Amino acid sequence: LNSTDQAGASRSIQQTYDLTQYLEQQLRALAGTYLNYLGPPFNEPDFDPPRVIGAEAVPSATVDFELWHSLNDNARLAANYQAYSHLLCYLRAMDGATPVATPTLRHSLAHFRASLQGLLGSIAGVMSSLGYPLPPPVPAGIPTPHSHFLRKMDDFWLLKELQIWLWRSAKDFNRLRKRVPPASVMLRLDARDF
Amino acid sequence: RSPLSLFFASSDTHIQYARMGTDVTMQCGAMDWDASVTWTANGTDIDESHLNGSQLVLRNVDLTHSGQYFCYEGSSWHLKYQTTLKVGTPPKEPMLMCRSNNYPRGFYCSWHLPSPTYIPNAFNITVMHDSKEMVCEKDTPPKNRCHIRYLQLFSTKRYKVTLTVTNALGRSSYTITFDEFAIVKPDPPENVVAKPVPNNPRRLEVTWQNPSSWPDPDSFPLKFFLRYRPLIIDQWQHVSELRLPPPSGGGDGERSLCCTDRIRWAALDHRTGMDVVQSELWTSEPRSHIPTHQCTTTTSTSSFAAPPTTKICDQNVADG
Repeated sequence: LNSTDQAGASRSIQQTYDLTQYLEQQLRALAGTYLNYLGPPFNEPDFDPPRVIGAEAVPSATVDFELWHSLNDNARLAANYQAYSHLLCYLRAMDGATPVATPTLRHSLAHFRASLQGLLGSIAGVMSSLGYPLPPPVPAGIPTPHSHFLRKMDDFWLLKELQIWLWRSAKDFNRLRKRVPPASVMLRLDARDF
Repeated sequence: RSPLSLFFASSDTHIQYARMGTDVTMQCGAMDWDASVTWTANGTDIDESHLNGSQLVLRNVDLTHSGQYFCYEGSSWHLKYQTTLKVGTPPKEPMLMCRSNNYPRGFYCSWHLPSPTYIPNAFNITVMHDSKEMVCEKDTPPKNRCHIRYLQLFSTKRYKVTLTVTNALGRSSYTITFDEFAIVKPDPPENVVAKPVPNNPRRLEVTWQNPSSWPDPDSFPLKFFLRYRPLIIDQWQHVSELRLPPPSGGGDGERSLCCTDRIRWAALDHRTGMDVVQSELWTSEPRSHIPTHQCTTTTSTSSFAAPPTTKICDQNVADG
């Protein structure tokens, strides 16, 4: 990358990082409201249910310690991109999106979805600025839960995964910021023929 | 389970444990009930009022009853029985705490008993995650601590840690469950130094470094919270959301604060914050004489570049 592309990529990564942090805070508020909407036992602090079938399909942020550290930039970004494109499908099917939920909850959910869509676009922007191809689209179908309780269980796990994914993404973009420093640093290096 | 439990510490003498406040009866080996015997405790003859025939009866025992007991046949002074009595209590529910000060490398758990038992205790800890048991490498005794390495990161599955404490008089256990990031608590910053700024009595320069225990500040950058106050004022001044300088800035932090004159700093409280959690520890009190006029500093924190400083000075504070 020449220094202009460098500056573009660096700015894009920084914006993506800032958006991730904003989403973390937004989700923190939304999750509390949503769990109260789901009601007990979902809003109890020590609720730790098994992950039943539907929730197993939600993309998990969990990753092997060594593997995460060894991911290259392309793989790191691709993992984020695929996760959020998949998570967005689930978000659209959340119980809170249905008319049953309160208007404020539906509005917060829609606002969060739009912000997450923005993050997806931002990640795509970083990938193209670094010359990486976008990963293939995610298969559209998501399993429909057999009961209302299982649907709430899926929502519970979706919220949890989203929180962890955003937590992971913030760390991923921190690593990228270090590897793609701001152009000014690069310009100085250029001046000294490094 | 009888309050009296028998343990064999070595082949010839044995140890018996008794619960504080209970009664203890000791048999003089195979001697008949009505045989003439002498009992000693730690070398001192025991008064016959404590005997029931040839048996020794100790009522409502306490720690002073712990010791070595011998029983001799009356006429021949042959040793017929000896034991070591240890008086104690069963363990209460232990206090257990887990913390990650070197995330994402791992975390440690430490424990202690809320009150002493006066007899030896054995601790057993199990760490479960995603239905698998994790290895907990114990520190050398007497440190009640062990270390666990993260095999996975960013897990939604909770960690479950169970500590069981057992001694001769009973057992107790305690379990905690937590999310991976809920126990992250970095150590405080290191090498915190406060120096006056030459030719500028209204400024103070504070420098610090990342805690050396924090393994990956690039991926997991820390936020710092600093507060200061002139000794003559109780109100702390807060400078928060400080990040270290841009990526190329290495591990050193530096903040230039507007301050009053002739301040004797009470203390600088440095809290190292990470996105979610904070750890807190007072540091030793740096010595420097700074003017006493009050200043407040506001700072915007762009998480990328070093934060710019806006200084608002208020002269209404009386000289110290």
